[in-house]
Amino acid sequence: MNTTATKSNLYYHDRVVTVLVAWSIVWSVLGMAVGLYVAAELVWPQLDFGYPWLSYGRLRPLHTNVVVFGFAVSALMATAFYSVQRTSHVPLFAPALAWFCCIAWQLAIVAGGLSLLAGINASKEYAELEWPFDIAITIVWVCFAIVFFGTIAKRKIQPIYVSNWFYGGLIIVIAMLHIVNSLAMPVTLTKSYSLFAGAPDAIVQWWYGHNAVGFLLTGGFLGMMYYFLPKQAGRPIWSYRLSIVAFWAFTYSYIWAGPHHLHFNAIPDWVQSLGMVMSLILLAPSWATMINGIMTVSGAHAKLKTDPALKFIVLSLAFYGLATFEGPMMAIKSVNIVSHFTDWTIGHVHSGALGWNAMITFGTFYFLVPKLAGRDLYSVKLANIHFWLALAGTMLYILAMWGAGVSQGLLWLSLDEIGELNFSFKDIMGSMAPYYGLRVVAGVLFLSGTLLLAFNLFKTLQGQKVVRVVPPPVAAMEAA
Amino acid sequence: MTYFIFIGDMLVMAFMVAVVVWVYWRTSDDVINRSARIPLDDESTDG
Ligand code: HEM
Ligand code: HEM
Repeated sequence: MNTTATKSNLYYHDRVVTVLVAWSIVWSVLGMAVGLYVAAELVWPQLDFGYPWLSYGRLRPLHTNVVVFGFAVSALMATAFYSVQRTSHVPLFAPALAWFCCIAWQLAIVAGGLSLLAGINASKEYAELEWPFDIAITIVWVCFAIVFFGTIAKRKIQPIYVSNWFYGGLIIVIAMLHIVNSLAMPVTLTKSYSLFAGAPDAIVQWWYGHNAVGFLLTGGFLGMMYYFLPKQAGRPIWSYRLSIVAFWAFTYSYIWAGPHHLHFNAIPDWVQSLGMVMSLILLAPSWATMINGIMTVSGAHAKLKTDPALKFIVLSLAFYGLATFEGPMMAIKSVNIVSHFTDWTIGHVHSGALGWNAMITFGTFYFLVPKLAGRDLYSVKLANIHFWLALAGTMLYILAMWGAGVSQGLLWLSLDEIGELNFSFKDIMGSMAPYYGLRVVAGVLFLSGTLLLAFNLFKTLQGQKVVRVVPPPVAAMEAA
Repeated sequence: MTYFIFIGDMLVMAFMVAVVVWVYWRTSDDVINRSARIPLDDESTDG
């Protein structure tokens, strides 16, 4: 009995990883289905059937919260737990706390989602959940930090692998952003008022909003990339030095770029310019990372042809490059004057969200789930079909939004000779139906692909026990 | 204010250059290669 207990302490804790992966997939399907529904509401507004909980105003934040906090954060927790133990050569520190994070997070998403449907909303984008949820999120996040940094602290090898730097950055920065941006005075259980007001409120909100994108949707997923790409390509990252330089450059410049969300707003002009310059600087570490990733795969051509997981990851790097080129361009004030308040931003968001975040997660899951289950992927053919559906869906989504966004921006900047608007807001929005229709088609394609992934991975896991894996023997570690 | 932004940006650039110099000079090839290989040799299966 004792021996079994001691031995189980030697295994990597992968069951909690499997459960988090499963939840991430559930949230991806639900979150994208809600995204598709709100996309359809923009074409057929009557789809709310007169119910407040089906209205666009309630479903839109439900979509963003479920995809970002349900799908993306569950995937990040799963992959952080999976990789930190392996790159430290020890099982997770405090595995019971890891289970707590897993379960409490899912409960928070369910309850938080229901509160949004009920119309309870703190009115800050990506921080819509009210104060009781903010406290719950803080508790789970602190536990996440304890498990993650505790594992690193008891590691058996000296270097801290670069993926852990990114996951560590995610944990520390999101804690800081979440706590500061959520500071509020509760008046009832479901209503609170932010401690900040006016321009400082806007600056704090976009310091939060932008860095949530930076350290969660970008930094966290870079952690995933730095661990799973070398694993799948079967070769180390092309330049490890470059990865470290990129980490510091990325961390140092991202944190200043938030004001590009507030160009031409009531914040000091110099703050806007600072945000613009820092956004342009960000191009360098972003592209250095993309090049590092692509060069890593360049020696694994044969695998790239046959392995759907690797194909997804390489494609995600291309979209990462696209989004991180487009972002700095949109941060230039004279470009932002056209793109702001238009669907161009929505196109940019989804080139990152679908092309980068979702694709890299799909690629990682196609690799991870067969490993966890100890058997081959149920169907490589289905995964390949998924690849093309995801690519077609993402391209169509982005192209439709570029078309819509650029025409909106140019049309509502167009003035007649006495300075009156040439086109009314209503007329411009009325001409958007074809673009919005195309986005619905894009959403159907992307969601169908995700359903194929869910089915394929469910069949791969079905009836299997999670494989037990132990750290490499001490001798190998010392020799390494 | 322009000077403020300019000096700030130069400090950021100086920091980045310092990181590049530090990473390239202070870490040996051996340490870098060993670190880079961590994900390739991090598990063994036990029945
Ligand atoms: C089937 C796939 C998806 C569809 C059809 C879809 C659709 C939509 C729609 C219609 C909006 C509202 C746009 C507006 O207000 O004009 C939206 C917003 C948003 N979506 Fe998605 N979405 C999908 C997947 C995702 C995924 C996977 C993520 C993240 C990982 C994501 C993140 C976001 C974000 C952050 C916003 C808010 C953008 C902003 O405020 O600028 N979406 N989505
Ligand atoms: C170098 C990298 C990037 C820069 C400089 C950048 C810059 C920008 C800019 C200028 C905007 C428009 C702000 C506005 O006019 O309101 C924006 C919006 C946005 N970007 Fe990026 N972007 C970058 C990469 C990414 C990536 C990789 C993602 C991943 C998903 C992403 C997600 C978003 C989201 C969600 C918004 C919408 C925020 C909102 O208004 O709700 N960005 N970004």
